[in-house]
Amino acid sequence: MDRVVEQGIQGVSALAITGEGSLTGGRPAPGGTDRRRRRSTAGWLLFPSLTLVLAGLILPLALMARTSVAHFDAASPDLVGFTLENYARFFGEPFYLMILARTLLVALSCTAICLVLGVPAAFVISRVESRTLKTALILATIIPLLMGNAVRAAGWMVLLADKGLINSALLSAGLIAEPVRILYTGSAVVIGLIAVLLPFMVISLESVFENIGTAYEEAAQTMGAPPWTAFFRVTLPLAMPGVFSGCLLCFVLAMNAYATPVLIGGPSFQMMAPKVFEQAIKVYNWPFAATIALVLMAVTLVLSVASSLALQKRYGVL
Amino acid sequence: MTGSRSPFPRFLSDGSFRPVMVGGCVAAFIMVLSPLAAIIWVSFFENKIISFPPTGYTFDWYRAAAAMPQFRDGFFTSLELGVVATLVSLIVGVPAALVLARGRFPGREAIQSLLLAPLIVPGIVAGAALYMFLIEVELASGVQVAMTFTGLAIAHSLIALPWTVRLVTASLVGLDPQLKEAALTMGAREFTAFRLVTWPLIRPGVVAGALFAFIASFVDLEKSLFLVGPGMTTLPIVIVNYLEWSIDPTIAAVATVQIAIISAGLVLTDRYFKLARAF
Repeated sequence: MDRVVEQGIQGVSALAITGEGSLTGGRPAPGGTDRRRRRSTAGWLLFPSLTLVLAGLILPLALMARTSVAHFDAASPDLVGFTLENYARFFGEPFYLMILARTLLVALSCTAICLVLGVPAAFVISRVESRTLKTALILATIIPLLMGNAVRAAGWMVLLADKGLINSALLSAGLIAEPVRILYTGSAVVIGLIAVLLPFMVISLESVFENIGTAYEEAAQTMGAPPWTAFFRVTLPLAMPGVFSGCLLCFVLAMNAYATPVLIGGPSFQMMAPKVFEQAIKVYNWPFAATIALVLMAVTLVLSVASSLALQKRYGVL
Repeated sequence: MTGSRSPFPRFLSDGSFRPVMVGGCVAAFIMVLSPLAAIIWVSFFENKIISFPPTGYTFDWYRAAAAMPQFRDGFFTSLELGVVATLVSLIVGVPAALVLARGRFPGREAIQSLLLAPLIVPGIVAGAALYMFLIEVELASGVQVAMTFTGLAIAHSLIALPWTVRLVTASLVGLDPQLKEAALTMGAREFTAFRLVTWPLIRPGVVAGALFAFIASFVDLEKSLFLVGPGMTTLPIVIVNYLEWSIDPTIAAVATVQIAIISAGLVLTDRYFKLARAF
């Protein structure tokens, strides 16, 4: 009896499906079948991009982690042994710790200066009333952002050299008697990096100020707050998530800077990213290069996560 | 400070607030734009050794730069790489964006972060890692990939991918799914609905994604550094190698050409897709 009923139900549902199919031009019915089909097409649509990222980035990073614990043998490129000697060398030699400390110091000072200059720039762009001027300012921010570091470093070399524009101008104005050495110093690297990173800060902050809108500021001022009070007590606290993500972006990019320190810092001002290249390509010590790269990534990641956790406690979910 | 001619809202114009804010903004733009202005100016200097003020102005350095094989080769390598990387990133990235924009499903966040990861992993680390990986592949299979066009194309496709995924997803998210459903209800096949309804709506995002992808690939330095080889060097690396020895109006002319290409590309992109939305 049960069997007959079951067969009957199957027959009816089969009829319903074929009927539905003929009505809508052979496409399967909505519901379970459709969802399953969507899931399988989703798999096929995602497969190529995920393969590219896995093969081109994730597997290579895993191999890099493996290389960093291999024993260095100048004679053979094979990965041999498991050892922590590369990490011990990095954290044992004051020379490398100094490079890490210098990189951190440069990244932190650049982030702080970018914040000080980026807040007014982003605020002005977000509050400018003329559409044309706003578009022009946004383009003037984004074009340098995507210009590439080599071109900008060349510009700073022209400006900061001993016979560069700044020294020539100061000499002819009689403000200095001898050219001031700026290029190939730490300050030149900080100046160069600020120019590279500032557009990122401005763009992150601009959209946040734009979204906050002017209503809160106007309300604060209607209640008698002067512009500065309204800005520091109302607008800036509301913009904290954007301030934080802008700072984080600047910090991470400054930690990993390559072209700027190499070209305008000169050979004596060493930072982490150029050291990775030097160890790999000039010394052929791939295990140690991998170690420096991973230390750089880990330090950046730990500081980013720690600071976002600390800020989350202070300001709630960012 | 009458505020009537200023482009700035009136209520922000008392006291020192506006001058300080505008001053900070001007300082920021001077920091960002002065190196670009300087390099463009120097490219027209007559004197080969850069000194200020110049003895005169000339266009000769552009001709000199175009005649130097290293710049010509670097330029065409970067151009080819940019085109290949953009095409690959569109072919693999647009389908992924179509899935990501469908809405929430388990694992969506993880897949999205994975596809945007090439933007987050530092270029020098990713480049070194890919180089080591390709060397291992070569040791295992005997096929050389590192220091060939293929190796560079893989690296540059990875540079380009996050931009196409991000911009196409952004243009799809605002899309009403009912538009496509309406087309399907009226009897359109899946592909016809995509071609006639979805595609025209996402085209600005795809064009912007492609242009961003191309620019990101064209200017990349760190990721390519390990993968370039003899006869296969990209323009930014040629520029850096040259700058390590000397700076003269010839390299300034090359840099100016790069500035012109990228500015034109971005101004063009802005007409399809408001640039501020890309970040």
